[in-house]
Amino acid sequence: MESTPLLSVNNLSVEFSTPDGIVHAVNDVSFSIEAGKTLGIVGESGSGKSVTASSILKLNSGVTASTSGSILFKGDNILGADDKKIRQLRGSEIAMIFQDPLSALNPYYTVGHQIIEAYKVHHRGVKKPEARKVALEMLRRVGIPNPEARIDEFPHQFSGGMRQRIVIATALINSPKLLIADEPTTALDVTVQAQILDLMKDIQKENGMAIILITHDLGVVAETCDDVAVMYGGRIVEKTSVNELFTTPTHPYSFGLLGAVRSLDKSARGSLRTIAGAPPSLLHLPSGCSFMPRCVFANDGHSKCSSIVPELELVPSTHSLSACHLRKDALLKLTTKDLL
Amino acid sequence: MSAAVDTPFFYFPVARLLRIALTRFIVRRIFFALVLLAAVSLFTYLLFALLPTDPAALTCGKNCKPELIAANRVRLGYDKPIYEQYWQFVRGIFAGRTYGSGDIAFKCPAPSLGYSFNQHECVSTLIGKTFPVTAYLSLGSFVLWMLLGVGTGIIAALHRGKWQDRLTSLVTSIGVSLPTFYVGLLVLFSVVIWLQWLPFPHYASPTDNLHDFLTAMILPWITLAVLSAASYTRLTRNGVLEAMNEDFVRFGVAKGLKNRTVMRKYVLRAALIPIVTIAGLDFAALLGGAIVTESVFSLPGMGRLAIRSVTDSDLPVLVGTTLVAAVFIVMANAIVDIIYGVLDPRVRLK
Amino acid sequence: MKHRIIGVLGVALAASLVASACGSSSSSSSDTAASNDTVAAGAADTGTPTTGGTIHILSQLEQITHLDPQRNYTGSDLAFVGSTMQRALTSYAYASGTEGSKLVADLATDTGTPTEGGKVWSFTLRGGATYEDGSEVTCADIAYGVSRVFATDIIVDGPTYAITYLDIPKDADGNSNYPGPYKATADQQALFDKAVACSSDGKTITFNLNRVVADFNYTTTLLAFSPVPKAKDTGEKYDNAPVSSGPYKIKSYEPGKSLVLVRNDKWSKASDPVRHAYVDSYVYEFALDPAVIDERLMADAGDDQYAVSDAGLQPENLQTVFNDDKFKDRRQDSYDPYISFTAFNAKTVSCVEVRRAVYLGLDREALRTAGGGPYTGDFADGFIKPALADDYAPNKMPDGLNKDGTPNIEAAKAALDEAKTKCPDVYAKATGDGLKFFHPDTPTWQKNISIWIESMKAVGIVIKPTAVEPSKYYPTVQNDKTDYDIARGAWGPDWPNASTMIPELFLTSGGFNLTRNGDDPAYKQFETDTKAALNELDRTAQGTKWKALNQFLVNQLWSLPGTFLKAQDIWGSKVGNAYKWASSGSYLFGELYVKQ
Repeated sequence: MESTPLLSVNNLSVEFSTPDGIVHAVNDVSFSIEAGKTLGIVGESGSGKSVTASSILKLNSGVTASTSGSILFKGDNILGADDKKIRQLRGSEIAMIFQDPLSALNPYYTVGHQIIEAYKVHHRGVKKPEARKVALEMLRRVGIPNPEARIDEFPHQFSGGMRQRIVIATALINSPKLLIADEPTTALDVTVQAQILDLMKDIQKENGMAIILITHDLGVVAETCDDVAVMYGGRIVEKTSVNELFTTPTHPYSFGLLGAVRSLDKSARGSLRTIAGAPPSLLHLPSGCSFMPRCVFANDGHSKCSSIVPELELVPSTHSLSACHLRKDALLKLTTKDLL
Repeated sequence: MSAAVDTPFFYFPVARLLRIALTRFIVRRIFFALVLLAAVSLFTYLLFALLPTDPAALTCGKNCKPELIAANRVRLGYDKPIYEQYWQFVRGIFAGRTYGSGDIAFKCPAPSLGYSFNQHECVSTLIGKTFPVTAYLSLGSFVLWMLLGVGTGIIAALHRGKWQDRLTSLVTSIGVSLPTFYVGLLVLFSVVIWLQWLPFPHYASPTDNLHDFLTAMILPWITLAVLSAASYTRLTRNGVLEAMNEDFVRFGVAKGLKNRTVMRKYVLRAALIPIVTIAGLDFAALLGGAIVTESVFSLPGMGRLAIRSVTDSDLPVLVGTTLVAAVFIVMANAIVDIIYGVLDPRVRLK
Repeated sequence: MKHRIIGVLGVALAASLVASACGSSSSSSSDTAASNDTVAAGAADTGTPTTGGTIHILSQLEQITHLDPQRNYTGSDLAFVGSTMQRALTSYAYASGTEGSKLVADLATDTGTPTEGGKVWSFTLRGGATYEDGSEVTCADIAYGVSRVFATDIIVDGPTYAITYLDIPKDADGNSNYPGPYKATADQQALFDKAVACSSDGKTITFNLNRVVADFNYTTTLLAFSPVPKAKDTGEKYDNAPVSSGPYKIKSYEPGKSLVLVRNDKWSKASDPVRHAYVDSYVYEFALDPAVIDERLMADAGDDQYAVSDAGLQPENLQTVFNDDKFKDRRQDSYDPYISFTAFNAKTVSCVEVRRAVYLGLDREALRTAGGGPYTGDFADGFIKPALADDYAPNKMPDGLNKDGTPNIEAAKAALDEAKTKCPDVYAKATGDGLKFFHPDTPTWQKNISIWIESMKAVGIVIKPTAVEPSKYYPTVQNDKTDYDIARGAWGPDWPNASTMIPELFLTSGGFNLTRNGDDPAYKQFETDTKAALNELDRTAQGTKWKALNQFLVNQLWSLPGTFLKAQDIWGSKVGNAYKWASSGSYLFGELYVKQ
């Protein structure tokens, strides 16, 4: 069933001008997400996933960033909207949470103050006691024990997991339609990670919001997402469903990522495997496929790999879109079995 | 969950804890301060004893024979061993000191810091007279320079890389490298002597003659403020830029808060906390005497008193002014810590 | 600020009082030392004085060093306090030029009567003089004032002639048996009362001296001989609030800020033959930066038109002021009271040929240039400044001494050759181990000493320098145990008589004799002649004797004459009588007036 997506990002490019030159952080990225769904954006650091997410709320530094393409939220182009319009979207229709709960809360104000502030900015005229009630309810909802007492404490008085719950409470206080979660669990230990992800899924079930989950952790993706976009060098190199990514990855980079995850699982057995080489500099992107220098399959001198940027195209016999010349030329015939 | 659930303000008694912490903090501070002041005064005495200058030789003029120098040494008390001089000094603080005998005896009442034979005045009186001048100078220029420094720093940060920022950076780099003495003279020469926009400053206490007070103070205030503001502009600019990269600031923006709100509640709060520390110490140092400014503008303040005691080898005044300056540094440290605690709850409860 | 002066100028005993010496040199004159005895005060002396107005005195000092008359001993302070608030038995005439070193009566009716050949001096009081509270100045007050000088534990810094001259027994250490009025027992007080006696009618005060002092009436111009009412004496504290007997009194005194004088309405012109008291008030402004003072006086705006400074121009402003005609009516280049000199230790450098070789070969011009050039002063031709008009005559300088101060190496080498045969020991020392030169460790002297070393090297003489911490310099070289061969110093007369120059610098009993000349074969005769001059009651005959002694000293060269030091001044355009008073080398502040 086709419906209008809640959010669609089309041909998004973001550049930053720095003293060293122009950084091509995001290049021609397109994706969309529907209500109630969870999209994972995966990639190494520097792959452009966080910049992409920030663009949706126009959070990239205005002085040095230049953005092109379009971001349609409920059909309206966010990129063309004025400051006031954007402010009305921020925190109410679209909320965002950040990687490090330890630094995401303002250390100088009580958590209650910050949640109430987030509520009141979109509910003008609501009296403070009323807002406080809403905040307490939200804190309870995200699992803060004894919220009446703790609402007047400062962030540093909470554990990391508790803080991320508070961040989520703050983000969700206005029941947004879309939550952008930028590595929401990376800084937390494993048991807390699972709790936080469960919490997000529970809330999603209740109110049907869409989630864009940005992560480098394929385990998190496997647990939470419906669809996945794999980013590399500022581009999406593979876009598919979670199932297909894990069963039949179609891009050499995805192979690599999966391999890294699995061998990590076996690290006790001493066969740690990572992708050799470093991600490309976004200042000087290679002229062809940006993954080529690290690609274990591109060693036969396929001239296309080094000269032409591969397009995202549907891979035959899958539902996956992949940006790889080799795949398209049917030269890549590996399956996940080869990774094990 | 306990019954205290409905009484959130008592469940976690921030105020009470703060009070206990503060009391303990203050007691510790006072003790520390006293030890430090004792050390400072003792150190000043020892240092003075080690100086190559002979204070007794400086007290006599043309007929300065060795016998006269010896007599002066006795008169000034420098003949006694240094520990005895120090002991008399300490006793004087609590008991006061009497000088001379008979009809012409006089007393420097407790807390006596001694008597200046150069200036014919009890040291506490001298400090009492000069300190207000320094305090007014410090306070006025401090307020001005904080407004100026923080203001331009914020403007520069908000317009990072644009002409406002570059202009500020140019002006401040000149500002921090200009010597106060020449700027002071230049200001005085141009405004007072050449253009005659102001009469020559004749300091008067503000309660005696507000007009004279203001005309004497305005130029020193501005000079000191402009020169000191330069480094605060830099501090503020860098602090603001750094704060703007904080996650919680981005989170604030993502909440949909107005730029101004984010600036005020998120960015400035974070950026200004380290500035408070430095400003507090700078202010305290200024209270100890703004030597150059006071000299150029002929303000009868404590800085000039101190520097004169050095050139005169006037030990009681030297020790007195050093001690008072030390008191301010110690107090400022404590006050800065308290303000820090108020501004940053993370510090408060440690 | 005494040591500051020592440090900065290298001028000797800073607190020195200097009562005469300079003066006459007229405005902007840089004529030779030998010129100018005329009265012309040049730019300073214009118009007829008018009454009223306020004079401002701009000062870099924090306060007047001493207002207490018995403790006051610096030229400028003596002139200021003496001409405004403190009267003494005698004074110098309030006039410009050499007239200003003429002795006149003040509280006394005349300049005193010596008896017993000058061993007893009595002064008759004029009467009618009053303090600021209206009470009369009595003979007892004058005696009491003098007695304070003996309280050396409290009344310090002042001149101690009273202790030296008065006929009061001293103990073995040379300390007086009279401890001053604060501690004296009745017996001790009787000692003083015998030496300084008031007649029963209170009209005459008599000083019994322990020696002949032919110029004791010059001594009594010092404010140490000013009256102090015993009931008002607060000892140490008197310094900040002395009682006035002059035409002005203190309205407010805030050290570090200002001293304001207003008219003392109890003073009557009829009782005071000396002072004119033209202006209504004085404002002494303290603690000004020297650069600010110069700039204000040059700008001449507002109240600064009525301003003078108690110190000279800064070197960096000399060109501006003396090259621009707009300042021509209010600038002055004149002698201050000091003479600088370089003393030999006559015990170790007991050879006049070596001393002459040093003099001839020394690059005096380079030294003067290092110190600031011609504005620092003129090359001295002896130990009496031309301003001591009665005592000065140009000396015949050693053959071969270059007038322009440049070294004459050949003449110096010739003198050294003479020494080789006449005094081989000193010659060997001077050319071998070298002569030990003690100097204060000041920036000026760090420069000067290398000029000394270099120019002596050209002659063949070795200089071994020793730098001494400035505050300890004079105590060091005045200590007999210090083994210098050469030391430097400067001196100014206490009053306009060479009796306060030559005996002080060259008698073994002198206050500042660095030459250790007591064993020199020529000393006995010199001492006899000097004592004769000191005891000479006829001023003209005395002058002739000083002139001969001055020439003798230039021949003998126990000490090398250095520079007749100069100072440069600028004052506000509406200030009248801005001449340098011969007796103090400073303005005669009490005679300044405001031009209409």
